[in-house]
Amino acid sequence: MKRVIVLLVAMFFLLPGQSAFANDVSKGISVGNAGSFTGDAAAPCMEIFNSSQLAIDEWNARGGINGVKIKHVMGDDALDPAQGINVARKFTSDKSMYGVVGPPVSHIAQASLKIYGQANLACITTAASKPELTESGYKHFFRVNARNDAHGWNCAIFIKNHLKGKKIAVLNEKVAYCENMAQQTIKGLKKLGITDIMNDTIVAGSKDYSAVLTKVKAYKPDVLFFIATAAPDQAIGVKQARELGIDAIFFGTEGARDKKDFIEASEGAAQGAYVYHFGPDIYSIKEASEYVTKYENKYGSLSGFGPPAYEAMNILLTAIDLAAKDGEISRPEVISKLAAIKNYKGILGFPVGFDKKGDLLGGATYFFKVNGKNFEQITVLTGK
Amino acid sequence: MENIFEQLAQQAVNGITIGGVYALIAIGYTMVYGVLSMLNFAHGEIYMIGGFAGWWVLQIFSVNHVPVMNAALLISLMIILSMGISALLGLLIERIAYRPLRNAPRMNLLLSSFGVSIFIQNFILYFQGAKVKVFHVAHLIPEGLRVFHIGGVVISFMRILVIVTCFFCMVILTVIIKKTNIGKSIRATAQDIEAAAFMGIDTDKIIVIVFLIGSALGGAAGILVSLLFTQVDYYVGFQAGIKGFTAAVLGGIGSIPGAMAGGLLLGLCEAMAVTFFPSAYKDVVAFVILIAVLIFRPQGLMGEKIREKV
Repeated sequence: MKRVIVLLVAMFFLLPGQSAFANDVSKGISVGNAGSFTGDAAAPCMEIFNSSQLAIDEWNARGGINGVKIKHVMGDDALDPAQGINVARKFTSDKSMYGVVGPPVSHIAQASLKIYGQANLACITTAASKPELTESGYKHFFRVNARNDAHGWNCAIFIKNHLKGKKIAVLNEKVAYCENMAQQTIKGLKKLGITDIMNDTIVAGSKDYSAVLTKVKAYKPDVLFFIATAAPDQAIGVKQARELGIDAIFFGTEGARDKKDFIEASEGAAQGAYVYHFGPDIYSIKEASEYVTKYENKYGSLSGFGPPAYEAMNILLTAIDLAAKDGEISRPEVISKLAAIKNYKGILGFPVGFDKKGDLLGGATYFFKVNGKNFEQITVLTGK
Repeated sequence: MENIFEQLAQQAVNGITIGGVYALIAIGYTMVYGVLSMLNFAHGEIYMIGGFAGWWVLQIFSVNHVPVMNAALLISLMIILSMGISALLGLLIERIAYRPLRNAPRMNLLLSSFGVSIFIQNFILYFQGAKVKVFHVAHLIPEGLRVFHIGGVVISFMRILVIVTCFFCMVILTVIIKKTNIGKSIRATAQDIEAAAFMGIDTDKIIVIVFLIGSALGGAAGILVSLLFTQVDYYVGFQAGIKGFTAAVLGGIGSIPGAMAGGLLLGLCEAMAVTFFPSAYKDVVAFVILIAVLIFRPQGLMGEKIREKV
């Protein structure tokens, strides 16, 4: 008993502190990159990491922040929330760390939210879209992508107006992002007067969706909205759907906007399929051309996950730079500078700013169709 | 009404395919348990290695996803080499991780098998990366043969291949176990390893053969599933291992016909469950059946009751 009390008292003294005092900038500045760099989401996450690295290299080439070179630290959660918590603990206990890009996966962001929040360590996610992440009262969490409620509503409009769907099957992988996205879309569809909806789930990683797809086939939908996190699962989804003779329009999520793991891996089955994405077609934006060339020369082909990460890292470093102007820096200072960013014009083709909760102002959803070996941008919706 | 029958028939096809694969995996568990009374939890990784080996064969013998040789030959080569490599891996595991512990408490063997499993998974993760390996099989099957329609039921060429190969393997195994001397020795060793040794059976050799057969079948399961779902990654062994183990327990661990029946039953139950319940309950239904069987027939469907002498 005595030992427990001593332990509790010790913890009481240890818990606060950490980030309350300003540090000397010259002691070093590092930024973290939390993501699933191994596992099924490794491809998009490595794109996030490499794009952030590009931004950091550019800053360091310009002399860093106050003459201090910035260090980029990778934190791999392997698509496992428990490991995401370990990454958060590691990052928050690093005294020279002032900000984190990520985590990009909603359920991992959710698991680690409290830890980053209690340590006042700023996080900018580039893909996590579950609404609750910015609804919990923590001030440290920002995002450069739109939320699920915006995406869900936009997807509902897209399904009704562009795909002319009347009977919709929605399949979701039971994780935070997918489940929430399914809920939001179904809510939107009902609001638009479409009530003939089938809602079922898939188990990620099992690689066999034929049983649930057989059920979908019997339902005879016009549109199959297949909500999974990673591209390989969606490639299997579209392949098995076609194999079973389901002729509904296949509509995939942002994870599927991956030429290699979705279009190529599905061996032709994805032809004519649609996907949505939170980012525009980067090749059509003038401001992004320098970034695109640099990235492709160094790391190869680009999908939709790199550009927001490049933007997020630049925004984070801008905030750290502002906070470090006086030679002293603290984590809360970085958060307040981030919150104050308005109309940041980078490479995404729209000005980035955050609302009070840390959400992107004026989020949009982009829609693409698979045409041959490429994605063709069809339209962009902003809730109207 | 016609619709529901069609759907059930389709689910039966889905279930038998995956059930056949579960059966092949379960045989590996059950055979090793039979002779050593240990659960070889590294068996899932042997299955995964089977998939990877097949992927490498396909990679080596195709240019731009087009095979450089006769497709039937290539598929056979993939299956045979996967089985061979998995069998060798099984031997290696037995030699390194289990033989030194032969006389140790069973718990040590169990822990050793967990260690092997974690090691192999991470070994593949390190050398092959975490990204899914995609099997480009479109060019392996001629356009007209890819899917067959029987009434409203769709059955693809790959499913037929999987079902046929699974049953072929099971028949061969049954013949070996029932009719040959080796099979007799395996049965004797499984019944009582000490008595078998007294009768002049080289039990060490039999254990090696058991690992060889079990792992080869595990590897076959791995490559067949990879051909069917066209993807393999370092983590597939985990789920496959759990399902194979469940099938083995369902059928009665230690019993080879039990493992076959257990696998097929598990696959069918899973597929049928999806028809009537939300698919999130697929595994729930499978495990409820397992629990029910264990309550009413603790020895499994075909397992033998072992009387403990006090």
